[in-house]
Amino acid sequence: MGKGVSGGGNMNCGEFQESLAYIIDTGGNAKQKEHLKECSVCSDLVSDLRYIADQAKLLVPMLEPSSRVWDGIKTSLEQEGVVKNRTARGRLLGILPASRWGPGTRGSGIWMLPIAALVLVAVGLLAYRSTLSSRQTASAELSSSNSALNFTNVDSDAMSDNQDQQLLAAIAARAPEMRQSYEQDLRNVNAYISDERKSVDTDPDDEDARQALNEAYREKAMLYEIAVQHSQP
Amino acid sequence: MTQAKKTLVPGLSEAEAIDRAKRGDAESFEALYALHKRRVYSLCLRMTGNTAEAEDLTQEAFLQLYRKIATFRGESAFSTWLHRLAVNVVLMHLRKKGLPEVSLEESLEPQEDGPKKDIGARDNVLAGSIDRVNLERAIESLPPGYRIIFVLHDVEGYEHNEIAEIMGCSIGNSKSQLHKARMKLRDLLKLSRTEKVART
Repeated sequence: MGKGVSGGGNMNCGEFQESLAYIIDTGGNAKQKEHLKECSVCSDLVSDLRYIADQAKLLVPMLEPSSRVWDGIKTSLEQEGVVKNRTARGRLLGILPASRWGPGTRGSGIWMLPIAALVLVAVGLLAYRSTLSSRQTASAELSSSNSALNFTNVDSDAMSDNQDQQLLAAIAARAPEMRQSYEQDLRNVNAYISDERKSVDTDPDDEDARQALNEAYREKAMLYEIAVQHSQP
Repeated sequence: MTQAKKTLVPGLSEAEAIDRAKRGDAESFEALYALHKRRVYSLCLRMTGNTAEAEDLTQEAFLQLYRKIATFRGESAFSTWLHRLAVNVVLMHLRKKGLPEVSLEESLEPQEDGPKKDIGARDNVLAGSIDRVNLERAIESLPPGYRIIFVLHDVEGYEHNEIAEIMGCSIGNSKSQLHKARMKLRDLLKLSRTEKVART
């Protein structure tokens, strides 16, 4: 027995082993179980394979990478411009990894990132408004908003003012009692943005100022989101 | 343990670290690295069997984590998400190298451990004789194609259907390769045991 030609029941070792890959996990059918009971070789084989699988499950991730791994990660992030080498607090330059925005977004242009989020909200507002007006008007507005997505040669202040006015107009149409409140909020957040932008313009390497500017734009984006919700029917 | 309850440093849970890392906080990212580096590195090392490669792949996995963490929506556990990301990094690396190990053709080492092989007379079973170090070494000695399937299924707990999806092979192929890997491991472990006895 055990030379692959004999075994219990109506099954020999060769036949049993042909299905071994499936028997291990399922336990096998009646004939296979019968063979297993009577053939010590196949029984030991199955026992070993199950033991190996069980032991493998107990392997814990005890191995630790060398410090070179973390050093490499830090260096790569610094080279990509996502993390600045000199920053003690580990602040990043922008909300999203720089690689998504390309090298042109670094430096003094970094404050454009939150504007992108802001304009997306504005586009949402315009799209909403388009349902209220004629198809032609909507088409013109959306076309206008799409062109606003190209920041390269756009005066962001003028664009922002224009969007603020459109937002207030939409609120006035749907919830006139809230217009004054939103107008004041927009004034406050615009002043906040203006102050922080001055700080960044004065010292483009001032990480705190950049972070504060990001926060200011984030607040404005949030204000837009809330306003859009309020102006919906 | 849920990710919300894991604490990385005093006052910072894993969930908070993930949120902060999404917003670009490098310290939180470092905390996440400290928490998961062993698991990711162990996975890379077991799949490649090479320390230098495993370290490079660990680095790449965490760089990808940094770039993609904003897309993590919490639909699965963070560790599961990171683990899948690391597996993909390793497989991508192996495919770039053009090694045959990611080709799961049945022709790989044909019939070496096939079911009709004469398995010999009964000898001592392995039970009780394997320690962690021996098993790690034996896994490292496996042919790469076997090793990947074995690590994914028996060590990391992936199901055959998941492996088939990741590796781009059939479920039957995954099962077959796993069986061959276990058979090969059995041989390696028995050989190791015999050599150990001979030395003493």
